[in-house]
This record gives sequence, structure tokens and C-alpha cells, in this order.
Amino acid sequence: MFRRLLLSLATVMLLCSPAAAAEKFVVAGDCNFPPFEYLNDKKEPIGYSMDYITEVAKRAGFEVELRNVAWDGIFAGLAAGNYDILASTTTITPERQKTFDFSTPYYGLTQAVIMPKGKTIKSLAELKGKTVGSQIGITGVFVLRKANVGAIIREYDDVGLAIADLAAGRIDAVICDDPVAKYYANKRKDFEGKLNVAYQTGDKEYVGFCLKKGRKDLLDRINKAVEEIKKDGTEAKMMEKWMGSSK
Amino acid sequence: MDKDEGQSKANIIMVTDGPAIPNPRERRLINAWSIALTGAILSLLLLCYAGPSSYREALLFLPDGILLTFKLTALAICCAVPLGLLTGLGRISRNRCVNLIASTYVEVIRGIPLLVQVFYIYFALSQFLRIQGVPAAVIAVSICYGAYMGEVFRAGILAIPKGQTEAARSLGFNRFQTMFYVVLPQAWRTILPPVGNECIAMLKDTALVSVIGMPDMMQRARSFASQSYAYFEAYTVVALVYLIITLLLSKIVSVIEARLNYYDRRK
Repeated sequence: MFRRLLLSLATVMLLCSPAAAAEKFVVAGDCNFPPFEYLNDKKEPIGYSMDYITEVAKRAGFEVELRNVAWDGIFAGLAAGNYDILASTTTITPERQKTFDFSTPYYGLTQAVIMPKGKTIKSLAELKGKTVGSQIGITGVFVLRKANVGAIIREYDDVGLAIADLAAGRIDAVICDDPVAKYYANKRKDFEGKLNVAYQTGDKEYVGFCLKKGRKDLLDRINKAVEEIKKDGTEAKMMEKWMGSSK
Repeated sequence: MDKDEGQSKANIIMVTDGPAIPNPRERRLINAWSIALTGAILSLLLLCYAGPSSYREALLFLPDGILLTFKLTALAICCAVPLGLLTGLGRISRNRCVNLIASTYVEVIRGIPLLVQVFYIYFALSQFLRIQGVPAAVIAVSICYGAYMGEVFRAGILAIPKGQTEAARSLGFNRFQTMFYVVLPQAWRTILPPVGNECIAMLKDTALVSVIGMPDMMQRARSFASQSYAYFEAYTVVALVYLIITLLLSKIVSVIEARLNYYDRRK
């Protein structure tokens, strides 16, 4: 029995070693977050982050396998080693940096408040007493909670559900990253003429690819590729491709 | 008659899921229930006082969620038990139309996952009906559990020996009186444990409504985990709190059951 076990173990190791040589990393994204990462009709992850990491991989000389995972627990999965890289519009925050490493930022965004068409506000303080929806654990929730304006925060599994609830008139506003807000308010046919971006915060946030601590070599390679992509104008092209039409 | 009743009762208890109701006649100090409860309370206390601070923070994050979970469960029980009784009566009704309605309801609802029902009532129906979060959650849970409880009521009523009905009818009771004065009061004793089980299962299933943004206990834990990245701590605490609550509730059900069965006990 023991010998058979050893033999099968050896076979498995033999089978695995060529795969390791090809250097493939698993990239995870919560594909409910257009235009950064979402699924196309063929259920493949697409979007700005996905394009970006594929371009990075091409220049840094490794392969990527894109995987759609749930946002809730996405960091736990990274810590557990279920995937190597997060390309899920993760804002670089000091709290997250304590546990994870981030690449050079690949996008800068602000928080935006979406409200029914025609409504605008001048500051977050005007959300006092209003019910504001968002996605569990995205920076929009943290920003609003930190601002402490007395808004009732309702957290959904993904931002699309929050926006559906806003369109149904059960909540007063939704707070999320501004490209996502603009995508839903301006580009989505089903919400056409119903929603608009009511407010945008001034504070810039930067999003980066997120890695488990202690993978400095991989992080350096990613950073180098990101720098290149920024310099030669590829980044600007990708921004135009994914965010251009929803501005 | 006694033998009959014992047998049918055993059948009913066998077909229910949910937590095991502690046996009220279990007098020993150490049993599964007491081990689980003391274990859960001790580990929760130990983690919160001696463990890392995130356990304490996770526990302090929960209270309003616990309240909402209780509120949803209580409201849903108030709706589901009468609905279950009606369904159970409908299922044994001789009126073909009533019987068909009740049976179809049970078949349809039991074939759809509760999570889908919650989404359906909240998001799909929102195009025609704008139901707010709490009512939507209560409606979804009650409709689902009404169907399950309907079967429990039906089995409980059918378990009452036919002689009881025949005796009541021969004494001049009409069908309605027979059901409400003779059959149901007796059936209640067999129905209560499985209905108690369903109520406890319902409390656990309210965790599903966190998907429609209801800040119940589960959602509070997820929210805490997502901002502190303390997943292990948050979910350990919420699991222990759920466990403590359901263990206490199952004890209450067993006490009520013992009080309803005092004739059995005297034997």
C-alpha cells in the first residue's frame, strides 16, 4: 500500500513539473464590476483589469489563467494561496498593505454617488438619513462609514444588485468607484434615463494588482511591465477602450 | 391506540431535519446538548477575553444583526405557522379545489431553493411590486416554510387515530368542530417538536437574506470580515453565536414538548 502511494505521488510530481516550468499564474477577479472586470457572453472574464494583467503577463513573460471569484472573501482566498494575483480593482489602502503587497497603481479613481436621474448633491453630508447601497467590503463603504454622515448603509453581494435596488426605488443612492458608477448610469441600457452620477469625492484612490506578501520577484516583474505599459501609451489606449464610451 | 400514536410519532420525527431536539426525559448532566452549549459558550468567552482583539471586535459588531435576525424569525414564525396550518388542512381537505391549491403550493415551493425565492421576491418582482427589505425577507421565508410546515401539520393530523374522528362525529360534532375541538388539540402534541425544528431551521435560514442587503447577523459578520480581513475570527464568532441561539431554542422546544406530554410522563 505504502509503495503504491509513493509511486502515485512520484507520478503526480512528474506530471506537475512541466506545468510549473511554463510559469502560469492564476489571476482572480470578481467579475461583477464593469468596466474593470466582468463576464462577456461566453462567460469569459473581460474588462480593463483583465486586459491590463494579460498585457503585463505578456511583457513579463508568464502565462495567466483568469478566474472569476466572489468578492466576499477574495482576500482570504489570496491569503490561502488559491490564486496568485488579484486583478479586481483593489484600492491600495494602508490596512490592506499590512497583509498584502500591491503593484504600482494601474488606475486612479474617486468615489461616486449614483442617484435617480435629476438628483445631485454637493457633499457626502447630504446623504444624512438616506439609505445608501454598496457592495460588501468595497472602499465606497469604508469612505462613507469614515465620513460618518449618518447615512444608513446597506451592503449587497455585488454592486449590480445595489444599483438594481436603486433603480427599483427602494434605496436613495449607491456609492462605488466612479468608472463603475458611470458605466451603470451612462452605458447600461436597462438603467438608461433612470440614474445619474450625483456626486464625486475629490480624494483619489489608486488601484493595484494585489499579491500575497513575500513574492517580491513576481511583484518586481509586474511593476516593471506596468511602468512600460504606462510609458508607451498602451495604458491610455486601454482606458479609452474600456472607460472612454461611458464618460 | 397508544401503540399507534407512538409509532406515528416516531415516523414524524424521523422525517424532519433540523437540529435534534433534546430529549426532555434525559436527566443526565452530560449529554450532547450540554456539551455543545457549554463548549460553544466557553469557546466564545475564551476567544473574546483571552484571544486576539479581533474576536472581541467581531462580537461587538453583531448585536444589531442579532436583533434583526430575531425580528425576522419572529415575524416569519407568526406568518408561517398559520400558513402551514392552512396548508396542512388544505392538503387533507375533501374539497378537490382547495386540496389542489394546497398541494400545488407545497409542490412548487418545496422545489425552489429559498435563496432563489428571496431573490425572486426582492429583485424579480420589484418591477411590479416594490416590497421593502424586511417584508420581502419575511414573506419569502414564511412562504417557503409555510409549505414545509404544511406537511408537518398534515402528518400530525393524519397520525390521530380515525376512531377519534368517528367518535366525535357520532356524538354530533360537525367536521369543523371535530377538527378544532378533538383532532387538532391532540395532534398538536405530535406536531410541536417538528414545528419547533422548522422554526429553528428558519432562524438559521434567515442568514440567506443577507443577499438582499438586510443587515442580519450573517451580513454583519461578512461586513466585519470585509473591512478587517479577519475572516476566520468573524465567521468563528458568528457560527458560535448561531449555535448558542439554536441550542437554547431547541431546549425551549423540548421543555414545551415535555409539558404538553405530561400524560406520557406519568405512565
